Amino acid sequence: MSAQGKRLLLNGNHAVSYAVKLAAPRVIPVYPITPQTPILEKITDFLADGEMDAEVMTMESEHSAMAAAITASLAGVRVFTATASQGLLLMHEMLHYASGARAPIVMANVNRTLGSPWGFWPDQTDSLAQRDVGWIQYYCENGQESHDTTLLAFRVAEQAMLPAMVIHEAFYVSHALEAVELVSPEQAASYLPPFAPLHRLDPLIGESWGNTVSQQMFQDHRRDLGEAMEGVAALAKAADRELEALVGRGYGIVEQYRCDGAELVIATMGSMTGTARDAVDELRSEGVAVGLLKVKLFRPFPATDVRELLAGVPKVMVLDRNFAPGTGGFLFQELKSALYGMRGAPPIHGYLAGVGGTSISPAAIKELARGALAEEPSANSVWKG
Amino acid sequence: MSYQIEEQKVFNSGHSACPGCSEALAIRFILNTLGPDTIAVVPPSCIAIISGPQPLSSMRIPVYQSTLESSAASAAGIKRALTAQGNDHTTVVAIAGDGGTYDIGFQSLSSAAERGEDIIYICLDNEGYMNTGSQKSSATPSLAYTTSTPAGKGTPKKNMAEIMAAHDIPYLATATTGYPEDLARKVAKAQRLTGGLRFIVALVPCLDGWGIPDSAGPKVSRLAVESGVFPLYEVENGVNYTLNFGPKDVPVADYTALQKRYRHLTAKDQEFLQKEVDGNWARLAKKF
Amino acid sequence: MSDAKARIPSIWTTGWTDQLRTGTWRNAVAVHKKRGAPCHGACPVEGEIPLWVRQMREGDSLGAWQTLVAHNPLPAVVGRTCHHPCETGCNRNDYDGAVSINALEQYLGDLAIQEDWALPAPEAELESRVAVVGAGPAGLSCAYHLRRRGFRVALYDANPELGGVLRYGVPEYRLPRKVLAAEVKRIVALGVEVVAGRALSARDLPELEENFAAVFIAFGAQAPKMLPQFPRDDRRVMGGLAFLRLVAKADPPELGAEVLVIGGGSVAMDVAGCALRLGSRVRVVSLESREALPATAEEVEDALLEGATLIDAAMVKEVEEAQGGRLKLRCLKAELDPAAPAGAIWPLEVAGSDFELLADTVILAVGQDPELADWQESVELQGRLVKVDRRFMTSRPGLFAAGDLASDQRLVSVAIGDGKRAAGCIADYLQGGKRDRPKAETEAKTAAEATEETNAEAEAEAEGPEVAFSDINTFYFPKKEPRQREKVAACERSSDFREIKLGFNPARAALQAERCFSCGACTKCDNCFYFCPDMAIVKDPSLPLQYQVLDQYCKGCGCCLAECPRGAVSAKEESK
Repeated sequence: MSAQGKRLLLNGNHAVSYAVKLAAPRVIPVYPITPQTPILEKITDFLADGEMDAEVMTMESEHSAMAAAITASLAGVRVFTATASQGLLLMHEMLHYASGARAPIVMANVNRTLGSPWGFWPDQTDSLAQRDVGWIQYYCENGQESHDTTLLAFRVAEQAMLPAMVIHEAFYVSHALEAVELVSPEQAASYLPPFAPLHRLDPLIGESWGNTVSQQMFQDHRRDLGEAMEGVAALAKAADRELEALVGRGYGIVEQYRCDGAELVIATMGSMTGTARDAVDELRSEGVAVGLLKVKLFRPFPATDVRELLAGVPKVMVLDRNFAPGTGGFLFQELKSALYGMRGAPPIHGYLAGVGGTSISPAAIKELARGALAEEPSANSVWKG
Repeated sequence: MSYQIEEQKVFNSGHSACPGCSEALAIRFILNTLGPDTIAVVPPSCIAIISGPQPLSSMRIPVYQSTLESSAASAAGIKRALTAQGNDHTTVVAIAGDGGTYDIGFQSLSSAAERGEDIIYICLDNEGYMNTGSQKSSATPSLAYTTSTPAGKGTPKKNMAEIMAAHDIPYLATATTGYPEDLARKVAKAQRLTGGLRFIVALVPCLDGWGIPDSAGPKVSRLAVESGVFPLYEVENGVNYTLNFGPKDVPVADYTALQKRYRHLTAKDQEFLQKEVDGNWARLAKKF
Repeated sequence: MSDAKARIPSIWTTGWTDQLRTGTWRNAVAVHKKRGAPCHGACPVEGEIPLWVRQMREGDSLGAWQTLVAHNPLPAVVGRTCHHPCETGCNRNDYDGAVSINALEQYLGDLAIQEDWALPAPEAELESRVAVVGAGPAGLSCAYHLRRRGFRVALYDANPELGGVLRYGVPEYRLPRKVLAAEVKRIVALGVEVVAGRALSARDLPELEENFAAVFIAFGAQAPKMLPQFPRDDRRVMGGLAFLRLVAKADPPELGAEVLVIGGGSVAMDVAGCALRLGSRVRVVSLESREALPATAEEVEDALLEGATLIDAAMVKEVEEAQGGRLKLRCLKAELDPAAPAGAIWPLEVAGSDFELLADTVILAVGQDPELADWQESVELQGRLVKVDRRFMTSRPGLFAAGDLASDQRLVSVAIGDGKRAAGCIADYLQGGKRDRPKAETEAKTAAEATEETNAEAEAEAEGPEVAFSDINTFYFPKKEPRQREKVAACERSSDFREIKLGFNPARAALQAERCFSCGACTKCDNCFYFCPDMAIVKDPSLPLQYQVLDQYCKGCGCCLAECPRGAVSAKEESK
């Protein structure tokens, strides 16, 4: 184990910025948007102080930011950017383009409600709506996890040659101060090898990217992309284990908390996990056998792991701080889909809780859990927020 | 007179441009002037088709095919990555059509110019969305037929050169394929004047979209210049204007007569066009 | 997961399009092909005008002159005497005025005399001997072209000096003797055996035929046409050529104060000019109206400027004696009958238009005929001319004829052209069985020689329709004023026989050569190369025409045709 990093009091956004400094991307296209902006502000501070060396591109839109991120990555350098909400949606076209280009960009997304109407509140719908664009997605519970996951994401993205999002929620994580133990520069250097892609835009190589392809070539390309994505779960697990060995913090791609003999497992992502942890502790102390399943890696969806972990569990309750009209909560949908056809698959309650950033207390979760244990699940998501 | 153009072999035969395509001609002089130490960005356009069917390329340099609206940002991203790697010699050029420049790509172009990105941006202007079968763009001139302006376009062409001049960029030029030496010279100059975005808008007749014979591209291009429809000039730092080839008293009607997209014009329409061209020239001529 | 597969996305290119054969799209292919220029097409000696003008433009005066004399050994003479149909045909007429080709020819001819350039030596030395009878333009030309091929040539002429009508007809002020002499001397210097001052007749034929493998006769048309109204054997009435001949021999006749010249052709104008210079008042009476005169407009204008009076559209009805030993000509105005067949002139008298003219001397310049009285036994005649076939051969095998003897065109350059073509026919006749083929030609050629020959062929063979003005891309030719030769002021001409037309100086010659479109003749300007969007034309200096069209890439768009300034690229249709 290398020398431990410093412990600092940081908000979640700055925790990401410190990890970016360690990863040392060489090109950082930026565009401001609340509540993401502090990530980039901290990075530009680092640059101004000479603690980092990168080309910062002050773009006129998130769309252009992602466009520049893709080409910079294809030109052979590590690239980072960050966005939120509307910005992420403006990038939508380019998100597909990035994964199609197999550009291992790492981007932080701070979950914020989508207009209209305007709001600034934590809600995961923005990033979950991008679940099909071919990006790896990590959801983080707190600043420490966002810090560690940023490095993890670079490592996995560059191994899989796929772009990755590191996601945490507005304010609850982005602006909440907590003590964060930084990965030390030495640890980071040993963890993250230099980025040196075989194929890149380089006159000495002369290869071009993006010509019009035939139907068969397109299909082959999509299949390759799919295979690469399928391989991410294993890469992510390995990367997580190595990080844990290095800094003593590991997360897995999914986390099981006090699930032994649980009558009900609460499944959720992001900051809600922390609240649910407290609720589980209280319920356990009250003699109610409840556990927690935290989904950290949402793309690729860890279906195999989830099936293993939920095998034999009598009941599952999903808390979704996100909402897709017509289908409901994203995690609810994904879990149902993952467990479908499994012998003895548990019935699942899909609860929409915290959508639009409404506050969900441990007490509220406890109440939901008790209710879930008593009720038969509905086929659809149910508003509980 | 004969042309003296020094070419480096970057653009290949066997590309998929229509027979007689002026755009291919423009690409030839652009790439063969810039040379092999170049990376090109090409958004959807005929240029993208010309660059070759996968897995082959007609350009012996790395080419990145961007989305339609992001050529300038994409080129800037490459240039910054090269800079980050300590490469200060490779030229990065975006070659886009007028739709990708005047319309959907304008935002990213304007910003790249404002940021002083060290790239060359070349717009091959064939005055419409010709690759999709001739629809109107903001580069389509007054009264020209396109499939989306079947009665002729009711508004004038956007003056891209002057808009870019207003960005105070180090270099901008207008060019066209009927003057290949001039085009090549301007490309070489753009390559030399680093330190900001250099912009060239080259008028490139589209045989199909304009309704002209396969062999007439260069001739129509020259008539555009000689009639004053498209004067060839350069601007350095937004203020120093130089006229290269101006109008030569050729009536605009001589220019339009060769093109089917103007065949519906009445005598009154012709008069209107002539007035518009005369007015534009009078305004521009003051700057030299 | 296979790392390699994940790391090699299918989106990167692996090669170049030049392996694709986009040329299969076309239905016509570009070919570099020399096409005929209208000047060349109109030139009676087929003188490769675009080529020598280009050589001149490129500063190669010697090369230009060598091209000229490959066809015409008398450029300084023809540069002064040709009716220059080349200029009439010049495509630049439709643009900003014809190139002054005739003046350029004179310029080169004069330069060669000044520089004492020699004609190229004969290509070989052959055994066959050819007799050329008559050293006028046709005879000199034929003798020269035969000698160039290596034949042994004996050139006979009745006069002491060579040149025929050029020496004894065309006046000094139009063609200075020293110019003619210099060019004739050069021909003789090639090794032509000259027998001057010996008039041959049909009776000499058998002897000639015994001594020579072929005989070429070109003794011209010496017999003046007479008009029945005029008295014969009257010293006051003479033929135009006879008069010019006396002037040329510096033995001019007494003309008196009033001279009437009857006729409207070049000879009539020459006669008028000479008579004026001898101090007489000259009136020219022509049947044709001024616009329809057979003389060139320039000749007529000169005669009038110098002081002659033209009485056109008039005919002489009767001639009477008048007081003071003069002749009185009763004349009428005449109109030409439009119903007359082409070439024929049917005058119609205009009633009540009678007028009279008085003259000390009348000079008839209404044409000449060959003197063939003693030849009709020996060869077949056709009207007033010797009958020849397409190969200039008379009815008598081995006897060839050309010039005024066999043609009624009566133009110096036509005679020179016929002399050249006849020489070719005589050579073919003599070498039909390769009897006289020189040794060198039968030996294997070196590669260099073969290449040179291919080049020459590619340069020489013009195919396809003649280049029209519409084939010229005028963008590449800024308008430039044509210039003609300046002339001595008319008031200064009548006192002597000094040449009246002043040749070009080098600067002016260069300027005019610059104007030539070089119709149909590639000048290696590279436009075809530069304007090919497919890069299907490559430059290869080792090729005859420098350019190669790449079959696999030419899409047949025609840009090279359109951008060729001069119509030297053509489209060859291909059927699929």
